[in-house]
Amino acid sequence: MEKKFEVKDLITVGVFTALYFVITFVVACLGFIPIFMAVMPLIGPIFNGIPLMLYFSKIKHFGMITITSIIIAILMFVTGHPYPIFIFCIAAGLITEFVLRAGKYESIKHCVIGSATFSLWLLGMVIAFFFSFRESYFASLVDGYGQEYVDKMMSYTPTWMFFAMILMCLVGGTIGGLLGAKVLKKHFRKAGMA
Amino acid sequence: MEIAVQEVNEQRLPKIDPRTKMMLLITVGIIMMSGKLTGVEYILRLICTCVPFLLLVLIKQYKAAAVSSLILLAVVLCEGFVVPKTSGFLNLMIMIVCGVISRFGPGYLCGWYMVRSTSVSEFITAMERMHFPNIITIPMSVMFRYFPTLKEEYSSIHDAMKMREIGQNIKNPLIYIEYILVPIMMSTVQIANDLSAASLTKGLGTDGKRTHICTVGITAWDVALIAVMALMLVVFFIF
Repeated sequence: MEKKFEVKDLITVGVFTALYFVITFVVACLGFIPIFMAVMPLIGPIFNGIPLMLYFSKIKHFGMITITSIIIAILMFVTGHPYPIFIFCIAAGLITEFVLRAGKYESIKHCVIGSATFSLWLLGMVIAFFFSFRESYFASLVDGYGQEYVDKMMSYTPTWMFFAMILMCLVGGTIGGLLGAKVLKKHFRKAGMA
Repeated sequence: MEIAVQEVNEQRLPKIDPRTKMMLLITVGIIMMSGKLTGVEYILRLICTCVPFLLLVLIKQYKAAAVSSLILLAVVLCEGFVVPKTSGFLNLMIMIVCGVISRFGPGYLCGWYMVRSTSVSEFITAMERMHFPNIITIPMSVMFRYFPTLKEEYSSIHDAMKMREIGQNIKNPLIYIEYILVPIMMSTVQIANDLSAASLTKGLGTDGKRTHICTVGITAWDVALIAVMALMLVVFFIF
């Protein structure tokens, strides 16, 4: 069943990555309000889960998700996110790839799990708030955003928050995946599109 | 007739290579996203704020150029001179509003310019010259083509909902999202099918070297622009 990549697959990748990126971008704009930044890993995957499930249902080859994650990483880097985003994106893409593969690209259950693991790439966007990046990043923010804003941000992002965010990604991704499965059943399966 | 008009236009305007556009996008994105509000970096931010204006003028979007650059300039000046004088909640509010506009705005406009002014074949040619593999180039060029379509789809869905008076009284956000997302996803699948058929007729599926009609090449203009951008990035990272 492992066939060569076709142009059709690449086009599917492009179209769905565009949709995914737009939704992420809209949610990320909300992330500017400090409290939204903290819950963004929860909200983003919920919205994104719906198109993601449709995308997963179209995937038949190994490698498509990884391409999606690489493209997202490039676009995120171009729009000014620091480099660790590449590591997170590609890792999340690969994990998802193996999850889907374990389900033979057909099982809905694996798709839902995949939706959860794929949303882990969002951590790459917030990594700068934590660990060794934290001090220097916030110091650089003071000049850019003002002390007031930085204080607010810092109060929302203690170190344990990072682990909470991992959990949020997984939970949000699962909820999004379940929602997506529901939507697929309701609208697409009947029309023969999924 | 159409073709003749286009050719005249193209000759009059300096043509920027897609690679230069990418460089512009990266520079503006990085500097606006993570620049500081003091010293040299603030000056760089001011310069970057003017870049979208020039680009939009180049593709003759005069109105969009005027409106967007007025807003951007106001916001950036506001960040530089009003924010330090305020404090407390007011400071935070201004910071958030200005932050969203000034940090995403210019990058968004540059991206818009790039999508508007680059044809897909130009983009693919440029990426090929940089030796990007096909598996990245094709999805990306599809994305470029798809972004404007997505916007059109959204606005027609919005219109259709308005016409039938759906959408005003929906309390549950999930239902609203369903109403917007499901039609968009339907059209996404449709477009993917259409594009694959189109690409097959254009011979994207075959192996072998592709040839191009469009002219893509680095000119003196591009060299100058790239040099300026590189200089700005160097200054940005050193200070």
